Amino acid sequence: MCPKNKNNFTGYDFVKKSAGIEEYTLVKNSLRVLVLEDHSAPVATFMVTYHVGSRNEAIGYTGSTHLLEHLMFKGSRNFNKEKNTAIWTELQNIGAQINATTWNDRTNYFEVVPSEHLERAIAIEADRMRHAFLKDEDRQPEMTVVRNEFERGENSPFDVLDKNIWATAYQAHPYHHSTIGWRSDIENISTERLKIFYDTYYWPNNATVTVIGDFNKEQALASINKYFSEHSKSINPIPPVYTDEPAQEGPRRITVKRTGQTGIVGVAHKSPQGLHEDTYALQLLGKILADGKTSRLNKLIIDKGLATSIFMYDFPFLDNGLFITYVFLTPGTDHKKIEKTIIKEYNNIIENGVSQEELRRAQAQIRAMVAFSRDGTYAVASALNEAIAIGDWTFYTNFMENINNVTAEEIKEIAKKYLTEDQSTTGWFIAKEPKA
Amino acid sequence: MGTFSNQVIINNDIKGVKTYVMPTRAKDVITISGSILGGSIHCADKNSKLAALVATMLDKGTVKKDKYEISETLESVGAELNFSSTRYHTHFTGFCLNNDLDTLLSLLAEQLMTPSFSNDELSTLKSRICGNLERDKEDTKKIAMTHFLRRLFPKHHPNYRDTIDESINLVNKITTKDLFAFHKQRYGRGSIKIAAAGDINPEEFNELIIGPLGAWEKKETIIPPIKEKAKDPKESNETINVPDKTSSDLYIGQSIGIDSEHKDYYALMLGVYILGGNFSARLMQTVRDKQGLTYGIGSSISGVSFGADGYWSIWGTFAPDILKKGIKATKEQIDLWFKKGVTGDELSAKKTTINGSYKVSLDSTAGLAGKILSNAEHGRNISYLDKYPKIIENISLSEVNNAIKKYINPNKLYMVSAGTP
Repeated sequence: MCPKNKNNFTGYDFVKKSAGIEEYTLVKNSLRVLVLEDHSAPVATFMVTYHVGSRNEAIGYTGSTHLLEHLMFKGSRNFNKEKNTAIWTELQNIGAQINATTWNDRTNYFEVVPSEHLERAIAIEADRMRHAFLKDEDRQPEMTVVRNEFERGENSPFDVLDKNIWATAYQAHPYHHSTIGWRSDIENISTERLKIFYDTYYWPNNATVTVIGDFNKEQALASINKYFSEHSKSINPIPPVYTDEPAQEGPRRITVKRTGQTGIVGVAHKSPQGLHEDTYALQLLGKILADGKTSRLNKLIIDKGLATSIFMYDFPFLDNGLFITYVFLTPGTDHKKIEKTIIKEYNNIIENGVSQEELRRAQAQIRAMVAFSRDGTYAVASALNEAIAIGDWTFYTNFMENINNVTAEEIKEIAKKYLTEDQSTTGWFIAKEPKA
Repeated sequence: MGTFSNQVIINNDIKGVKTYVMPTRAKDVITISGSILGGSIHCADKNSKLAALVATMLDKGTVKKDKYEISETLESVGAELNFSSTRYHTHFTGFCLNNDLDTLLSLLAEQLMTPSFSNDELSTLKSRICGNLERDKEDTKKIAMTHFLRRLFPKHHPNYRDTIDESINLVNKITTKDLFAFHKQRYGRGSIKIAAAGDINPEEFNELIIGPLGAWEKKETIIPPIKEKAKDPKESNETINVPDKTSSDLYIGQSIGIDSEHKDYYALMLGVYILGGNFSARLMQTVRDKQGLTYGIGSSISGVSFGADGYWSIWGTFAPDILKKGIKATKEQIDLWFKKGVTGDELSAKKTTINGSYKVSLDSTAGLAGKILSNAEHGRNISYLDKYPKIIENISLSEVNNAIKKYINPNKLYMVSAGTP
């Protein structure tokens, strides 16, 4: 880390620097700003990450973070159809890649722009931070758009099984529901409720802006100051999520039956908060189990023709998450056989650990992954976005060092700690024959 | 001279291998993207799935290494090497850190040149592919698209698609003898093109890749001429029942009779882009944004490469109970677009979009390598990549509106939906 006050820019406090990324705070309203100059291509990425996601929702307004994200494109004070400055048109007409995503812990809005248009992206994001229209006449058609997004997800057996596993594993904590929300909530949430949501969470002191790429730092910081300084801090404190998941006291199971062709098995175990020190060993364990042709489950399942693919779901979140092995079965493969194979291999690692060679290979895989996460301005911003979401952006910059410090013995220990039967939730998707 | 002409180091034919190397300021990472003329069109008269199986079997073992040794070599340095097959090419894509380029390229050459094609590996692969194909029977988008292309094109056209059951049948027939025969016939020097971008030294790259590949046998390097044209467009509708689905996929469109080298191609492409090329295009602005009928709807020209006469399509998703409403709204937009054409403002905006997007696509080594390779595969000079924005800029409004009138016929649309009615 560099000493404070090394970089002085008007209106900002310098906070820290890590791996070339500098953090500043906009003094006026506590907006956090991350900057990284990279002149590899004539492109810049601007991203705003709000510290609000589906974990901030409850029964009756699940999916509202996501629906609000959609409405944020419907217009704001300076960028709207009436003025012929609609957000999509303003940005797509300059060739920008533009979108927004919502997940458990965050909502992010981003623009990848030709460098000379960076200021336009900054102006748009600043305007809609506090001046989005959020009209009921816009919510009504957008509700059906989002409902079709939900319906598209429901078409997928994997999506349905994944939703059911999370809903079974988490009963009190809001990770219980998926980010898209329950259908009836999507249909019935009022515009007034969405406005309350917006006025609760969309403030500079609950956001981090990231700017990566081909720009002049002084000018970019000046633009951010110019446009975002019009906003004050939130009037009320940002409400925390205080619901803890009660301890799980035994294994749980869920089965989904639907017309289909092939089965899926998902074996999930509770995992720690993303910033917990065990996260790094769990990430390596996931690689050793299921990433690449030499991974253990690949050899035991894919190479025997029992499944078409394996997918390890082990994303770190702000709160406790799930470490899930998903296996997509070939026709005729027995669900029970695959479930037993997974558990047997977990127990093998709990008893016998992993080899130094497996650890070294998993670390090398992550080293390359981290290097490629710096290939392109959007790649950097996107990786930073997830680190910001779990509470510390330096999770991204320090990740490799922490991965390198993990030992084989630690992997054995965390397998023993987390892959226990009583903390498990197992899901089967069973394909039913179509009705005649 | 522009970005690509200045920065891409080309070796046009070193022992039958063409390389295009672009050093960038990316730190440590290198992406390579290459191809060989080994796609399904080269085996269409025998078994169209053969090319895909040969490509997929390339990482299942070589004469010297079994698949685990290959994977361990790559995974021990965090590198990746993937093979896939398209209609015309076998593609290979590699990612590595710059210190590991030697490892990646020597493995690439070994896998391309001396695959082992074992019986056991083929058997396992066939089981996986057929499993994936069975899963495709639940995929409303794939089902609708397959029907769409089968209706527009005859069996021996590059844009035709086999049904899922036909594909399963073809995959199951393939033997290792077939794999060896196709590999011997198609794989070799002559048609190999490789683009590389990132933290790379062009001379070192060329030495590393030409060394092993230079000794390989030279093979035929042409794409066979296309013997059949698309079927004549005629109006028809079809609904495919896929049980237990909450969203239906819809395709509307027709064949256009031209390929990407035709003088009208860019004008038509721009016209279609204005209709449905991105979020701010007409279909998304009306059917989604204004009427709220769909999460996504778009329009594009496809299947126009390497001399193939392609097609224009609209794809969208709708809840089954509002599918009819969605179709009506979409057809209204088609009629409006066809009758009144596009405006000068729309054309001007979309030209800026396309040219800006072009700049943004230079953001990563993968984007650069892919763009350079695609350009080379089409036999275009590297300067084409620099000229492209100008080509788009020079298209006039009357050219766009004339192309829409000439190639689109709203009275002869084919429409297919797949879902639970």
